[in-house]
Amino acid sequence: MANQVYEWIENRTGIGNVMKHALDEPVHGGARWTYVFGSGLIFLFILQVITGIVMACFYSPSSTTAWGSVYYIQEKTSFGWFVRGIHHFGSSAMMIVAIIHFFQVFVYGAYKKPRELNWITGVILLLILMGFGLTGYLLPWDQKGYWATQVATNIIGTIPVIGEYIKVLHQGGSDYGNFTLTRFFALHVFLLPLSLLFFLVIHVALFRKHGVTPHWKLSKQELRNRIDPFWPDQVFKDIVFAMILYAILAGWVFWNGGAELQSPADPASNYLARPEWYFLFLFQLLKYCQGNLLIVGTVILPTLAVTFLFVLPFIDRNPLRDPSKRIPFFAVISSGMVGAVVLTVASIHHDKHDTHILHQREDSEIQAARAMKLAAAGISPAGGMSIFLNDPIYLGEKIFKANCNGCHMVKGAGGETAPDFTDFGSRQWIAGLLKNPKDKKYFGESGTMPPVQLPEESLLDISEFLASLSGKLHEGDPGRIERGRELVMKGQCAICHPVGDKNAQKIAPNLTGYLSDEWLKEFIKTPADRKFYGTRNKMPGYEDTLNDKELDSLIEYLNSLSKKQPAVSLYKKQERTLTGYVYSQYGSMGILCPEIVITGYQMRP
Amino acid sequence: MIALFEILIEVCVTGGKTKKVEKARRKFLKIVSHILGGALAAGILAPLAGFLAHPLLKKTVYGTEDFIRLGSIDDFPIGIPKKMPVTSSKMDAWNIFEGLVMGSVWVIRQKDNSLQVLSTNCPHLGCGIDWGADVNKFLCPCHEGVFDIQGKVLSGPSPRSMYSFKTKIENNTVLVDYKNLI
Ligand code: FES
Repeated sequence: MANQVYEWIENRTGIGNVMKHALDEPVHGGARWTYVFGSGLIFLFILQVITGIVMACFYSPSSTTAWGSVYYIQEKTSFGWFVRGIHHFGSSAMMIVAIIHFFQVFVYGAYKKPRELNWITGVILLLILMGFGLTGYLLPWDQKGYWATQVATNIIGTIPVIGEYIKVLHQGGSDYGNFTLTRFFALHVFLLPLSLLFFLVIHVALFRKHGVTPHWKLSKQELRNRIDPFWPDQVFKDIVFAMILYAILAGWVFWNGGAELQSPADPASNYLARPEWYFLFLFQLLKYCQGNLLIVGTVILPTLAVTFLFVLPFIDRNPLRDPSKRIPFFAVISSGMVGAVVLTVASIHHDKHDTHILHQREDSEIQAARAMKLAAAGISPAGGMSIFLNDPIYLGEKIFKANCNGCHMVKGAGGETAPDFTDFGSRQWIAGLLKNPKDKKYFGESGTMPPVQLPEESLLDISEFLASLSGKLHEGDPGRIERGRELVMKGQCAICHPVGDKNAQKIAPNLTGYLSDEWLKEFIKTPADRKFYGTRNKMPGYEDTLNDKELDSLIEYLNSLSKKQPAVSLYKKQERTLTGYVYSQYGSMGILCPEIVITGYQMRP
Repeated sequence: MIALFEILIEVCVTGGKTKKVEKARRKFLKIVSHILGGALAAGILAPLAGFLAHPLLKKTVYGTEDFIRLGSIDDFPIGIPKKMPVTSSKMDAWNIFEGLVMGSVWVIRQKDNSLQVLSTNCPHLGCGIDWGADVNKFLCPCHEGVFDIQGKVLSGPSPRSMYSFKTKIENNTVLVDYKNLI
């Protein structure tokens, strides 16, 4: 039966013959493991195509929906994170294999007559591959993709005369918006794949016409002596290589838990833009090309490099393929490669040792984790960023940056005239304050409190007690708290600091409910109140500047600075249960449409 | 496997590379290639299929509440059906749409304060059913379906009585389980 069907089709199409023709291709000099890279690339490309098509069934390209749909793929579907991971890291894998393939072709001298067009289509394919990386990076519309792609489109803008036009065409306008995504999406899933396919067909057809380029040492006689059929000898090796590639890729995806998704693109933030690793060298290059020289890094050098690759088969016309006969060309290509590697390493090294960057990374990770949690409650149609609209921590951070950051430092950024708020309110923070209030990290020269000269253990007891006053202490140690209490009440602290009566006034701040929400609120409103710093106060009061909601948000943010505090604000934890589905009491629409909140949703007990 | 044995036997007998060994080797490679290729394809396709099947396995569009508030019991007159819009929140994949009108229902309050909530969609082909106040009957304009105040078919093509919903009253508030038709 199966045979008959096959016969029927064969008689009408001749497909069997075509297959035979394709598979019986003789491999002169024998099948080899060194020939697997080209087919490995084709395998990876097919993998990208099918994972891409499946993801396109879930993805929605617009500035309000893109992040949400990628979030959905990542968090809500069964294997979405894996498929997205394969697609994401698959691009890196393609780059690596392409570079190996490229280098091998160069070393073997496979670009020489009559294979010039083979080489040229290869260079075009490499450029298309970079185009894929560039356009794909933006699609999740998260912070990382958004800001990195801004850099790329701005680079396009530096091309003389036409640059600005190309940029606007790419962006679909003078600024990023809905059309930026639709255009990048169209490029990524239609134009680039079709172009790649077009050049790939030529590339492979030419390869078939000219055959493999064997090692330069093999003589004509040796080539003629051993001829393996493409199927199964070479195909077997190709399949094994494809398996190895997939195993590494899948392992890598598991190891990393899939591709990362940062918080939704926020055009108002100042995110640190970093492109995908294979663009880092270009990125680093730009650091050295400043001012009028910018165009050297953005246009002139890349154009020179690509032009060199295109014309290489025409300037190296010596038919000998032995590398020792091609030293100058080796020098050019290797110095280009070494240059790229050095620039890449320099960029990574720099980022790894810049505390500012490390902090920003840490922050963006926290932000991303928060975005995931908030998005679980559903994203309002206003778009990804809307999940933050009513998140107090997010608002609080903004308020802090606008009002407090000038004097108070957080994680290495900010002014130094007031205490550093990194890890604010934690036991360590309090202990540090007790130990040396005059430290630059705390009150500096204006610190009038004498250092508490007690053994380390007692200091920790006191901090434990003080931290417990806020009512926010996690896993407090009752023994410690009690000992700390005694030290504070009977020791010298209580001489200056009132403890126990909220309104009592002495010469130093009242510690009743120290660092609790209520205490913080009153303090921020009027630090010059007699129960706080009185006449010695230096900090401005915010009673008139910030309203109650803003103060609450600010305090929420301050609470979040200590490591022991949850990353998602407490408001959000007051979830309401709907059908197996949770959304926050203060969800954005809840505030826009209060009657929904009023109409009988039930609080979870 | 068989091919592998053939190679072994042939190598033992002839002690070297013969045409026959070469042929058997290729046969072996072909079989292994098929197996490996199949395994690779399965390894790739399995997660893809699982991912793609997501809408079959999980709800991607759904209302977010079990019981939706229709109003206070006093809003409904005794013995006269009242049409009420059903407003709820809808989850559409990643988006939440709040305060969306999902549809409407007929609410009939009995003398003993018990409630009957009927679907406005006709069980025949889904047209909207009206209340004929003058005849005290539900009327479907499409194919002249007629139902009594309990929703029972009196005449017309409808195969069954009008759909109804489970309801409950809490603190004078009328709640309806809009998801499940009875
Ligand atoms: S749809 Fe109502 S009678 Fe046909």
